[in-house]
Amino acid sequence: MKHLSEEELVWRHYGESANQSEGANQSEGANQTDEHLKSCAQCAEAFEALTRDLAEIAPIDPPQREEGYGQRVWAALAPSLEPYARRKRAWLGLGLGLGRGARMRWGLVYGAALALLVAGAFYSGRQWEQQRKPPVTAVRQAPAPVKQHVVVVVLSDHLDQSERLLVELKHAEPDSPEAASALSDQARNLLVANRICRQDVTGADDPALAKALDRLDRLLAEMASQPGGLDAAALARLQDEMNSESLLFQVRVLRSGISNRRKAGKTRLNGGAI
Amino acid sequence: MFRMGKSDHAAIRAILAGDKEAYGALVARHSQSLFRVAFRIIGNEADAEDVVQEAFLRGYRGLEGFESRSNFGTWIYRIAVRCALDRLGSRRRNENDRVGEETEPERSQVQVADSAPGPGRLLLSGEIGAMRESAMQSLTPTERTAFVLRHMEERTTEEIGVALGIQPNAAKQAVFRAVEKLRRRLAPLRVNR
Repeated sequence: MKHLSEEELVWRHYGESANQSEGANQSEGANQTDEHLKSCAQCAEAFEALTRDLAEIAPIDPPQREEGYGQRVWAALAPSLEPYARRKRAWLGLGLGLGRGARMRWGLVYGAALALLVAGAFYSGRQWEQQRKPPVTAVRQAPAPVKQHVVVVVLSDHLDQSERLLVELKHAEPDSPEAASALSDQARNLLVANRICRQDVTGADDPALAKALDRLDRLLAEMASQPGGLDAAALARLQDEMNSESLLFQVRVLRSGISNRRKAGKTRLNGGAI
Repeated sequence: MFRMGKSDHAAIRAILAGDKEAYGALVARHSQSLFRVAFRIIGNEADAEDVVQEAFLRGYRGLEGFESRSNFGTWIYRIAVRCALDRLGSRRRNENDRVGEETEPERSQVQVADSAPGPGRLLLSGEIGAMRESAMQSLTPTERTAFVLRHMEERTTEEIGVALGIQPNAAKQAVFRAVEKLRRRLAPLRVNR
């Protein structure tokens, strides 16, 4: 007599067949397994042992979330989300309320019109430039994209370091004064960089980034201003503050967005577009 | 503010028409179930909360790709499972990088059936708990996630396959490997039974 394999027993336990097949075959397989279990004491014993073992691993009961947990998640998330309408405005309101096919057709029309416009503007510009040759330029300025790339790199590194500091703050234990003192030192170092980044992003039309850097500034300033390092009460207050504003999450979101921009910038630089 | 009573599909239509606030209703409606599965996979409260936020963020950004025939709850649940799996993978990599450091006790929890917590058994049950915890730690992130989905969330292998982005047979193999490893690791407990 051919005994059932452990895999067949496992899938019998979970009410499925060991072979991934269609419904009819599945139930036929399950029936055969059941028949075998009735007639074979050895397999029945093995099945019982398996069931006992798996019953020992009870489902994990997650800690209860408060009633307003969903609202709390939303409050943390909302500042990072851009309304869909605004995104669509970036496409000149293209195809609002239209089907996919119609949107594609309009897209092509818009695309062709834009291409013509750009070509026309380029041609006129060249003509105008040849008529009015400027005097010799003495200073050659660094191309704007290079500066932009540098800002993105600095910001990306700053957010990366800030994220690590916030993770450390989140997991910091009050009974470790050395760690708390190290946190204050790191905050002091990051505070200067944060203020430079804040100045750079002012007027860059990125309110989410500006707001997050403002919040980060407040938190870093508080951490840095504790002369003897962070005591237990200060640590708990800062952790609460960080959690209530979901600062770590916001920094994480921004860091991932910036690092994508950084990668894109690198590609452009490597591609010799500048 | 979007009314809570409206269906998920109505909320999605409103969001895509520019009403960002409508997403708040979806977040409020599905946060608890996402937290439950995230916690079961990750075993850590703070990380599970992060996973919930990340899943809703990814969900919002991918909402244009959401098919109207689908169920939003199932769709966002799958995203949360993927986020938890990613988190588990990156945590495992970080732990490997920090060789020699002690692991935090709350890192991973597996709750076990506790039928008779008498005082005489407390010490033993503590050891048993640690053993089970370590058994769960021995699973790869995919095995652990697949096992949690099958054993604790009672998902079918098809659903597990879709959630993990693998074929149903591969999902089945992952669950089976997990069961095999757990039984092998927990075999010494059987002697004491």
